[in-house]
Amino acid sequence: MQNELRGNFHEDLDAVRDTIVTLAAHVTEAIPRATDALINNDLEMAQDVIAHDDELDLLSLQIEERCYALIALQQPMAIDMRSIVTAMKINGEYERSGDLAVNICKGVRRIYGIALSPTLRGLITSMGDEAVRLTRVSVDAYAEGSSGLAAALPDMDDRLDDLQVDFIQEIFAAHARGELKLEETVQLALIARFYERIGDHAVNIGERVMYMVTGESPESAGAARARAAAHETEDVAPDVSEAE
Amino acid sequence: MNAEEIATDDSVVTDMADAVPATTGQDRGFVAEDIVFDASDLSVYYGDFRAVRDVNMLIQRKEITALIGPSGCGKSTVLRSFNRMNDLIPTARVEGNLLYRGVDLYDPRVDPVEVRRRIGMVFQKPNPFPKSIYDNVAYGPRVAGRKKGLDDVVESSLKKAALWDEVKDRLQESAIGMSGGQQQRLSIARAIASDPEVLLMDEPCSALDPIATARIEELMAELKDEYTILIVTHNMQQAARVSDRTAFFSVEVDETSDRRTGLLVEYTTTEKLFSNPDDERTENYITGRFG
Repeated sequence: MQNELRGNFHEDLDAVRDTIVTLAAHVTEAIPRATDALINNDLEMAQDVIAHDDELDLLSLQIEERCYALIALQQPMAIDMRSIVTAMKINGEYERSGDLAVNICKGVRRIYGIALSPTLRGLITSMGDEAVRLTRVSVDAYAEGSSGLAAALPDMDDRLDDLQVDFIQEIFAAHARGELKLEETVQLALIARFYERIGDHAVNIGERVMYMVTGESPESAGAARARAAAHETEDVAPDVSEAE
Repeated sequence: MNAEEIATDDSVVTDMADAVPATTGQDRGFVAEDIVFDASDLSVYYGDFRAVRDVNMLIQRKEITALIGPSGCGKSTVLRSFNRMNDLIPTARVEGNLLYRGVDLYDPRVDPVEVRRRIGMVFQKPNPFPKSIYDNVAYGPRVAGRKKGLDDVVESSLKKAALWDEVKDRLQESAIGMSGGQQQRLSIARAIASDPEVLLMDEPCSALDPIATARIEELMAELKDEYTILIVTHNMQQAARVSDRTAFFSVEVDETSDRRTGLLVEYTTTEKLFSNPDDERTENYITGRFG
């Protein structure tokens, strides 16, 4: 049986986590609605997703302010500190994913009326499904504090990246066949990019969850290259975490 | 034989290379020649009661090392063993090894008075003598037989303790009239006047208000350039703010005898301990989740 000395503080931390999960749930719902709007030329649904984003922004702001207050008032340490830092970071990631769903819907308005081939519709559906799956796994990893789930995200994201490549090739081919105008092709390429970015945000969230759980940040490829280069020249930028 | 003589006596000095780090994170950034204390399997007893057991710690020169943990975990007992203050308690005894600069502090040939000159102590409650400010600071050097240059010692000690500007015009006034924060800085000046290498501080701010506490913390950061400091504190934020390394002590309770023995759970850099401790007991303590 565990005795809580800081029960109120830890309840506040749980509330922050729950609010992030709520935010993520809204994002997870916005993505398939954006996809439906795109597939079905549904401007009303697109507008609905766009309008709903204000609520997500408000939720995100509230999470951020709550985190600032907890840092100022509670001086969190160890897992508590890592939880708050993680909440602040992934809050921004989910908010941005929500914006990307909005961007998809704005794209729907710009290409309103075009007829998408069955192949393109299939690829869009698949990209939408993968983006939802990645976002859902990221929030499961966060809510459960599962470094295993978080570690699975980069590989899962490869599938979405591949779909985006296939989609781009397909719209270029459709443009070459005269089935899509240049502006429509560009808009669709951007839309594919928005889906792909949602996947990247999920991967980032996974990295933050890894930090929260293990205390170690997975090193990005760029950081690893910079460290290796500094090590080679011994022209430092030493690892501050080891510098004592 | 004083400590200096012992330090040059090959039969007593133990090779620093033998120092075996035994606790998590002990190996982080220690420089062998700068190790001031080397405690290995150190246990402190009061009679047959073992107050704290099996402490393994290296203390690095010119660093601030904080000892934290719940009441009864033995952190003050360990601190006092570092300058043989426990000798003053008749039933207290130490087992294991405690080396100061490679010299066994508890070697019978070591003079405890010399130990306490080199390893000064500042207590929880400021304890000025009922004498003038000047005489308080000059007390240690006088006892050591020093007669000349006392003015300089008093001035430099008060300056190092960040007290000079406040008291330079009233050095002959009684120290009892000073504020709590000033009295504590006077205690630090008095310790410094004996020219120690190490300062042990046992809850030095617990009787002070936040402003006076902040002054002492600032002062500690300045003193670190010259002295090695060990501080026992109940205030985790203070340990996090001021120290380079932190040792977390906990308590284990013997079910049959209901006796509580302190033990060192985790000792590592302060940044590591407060952001990502290795031991779950540390994590539970610093986040207020007690098992």
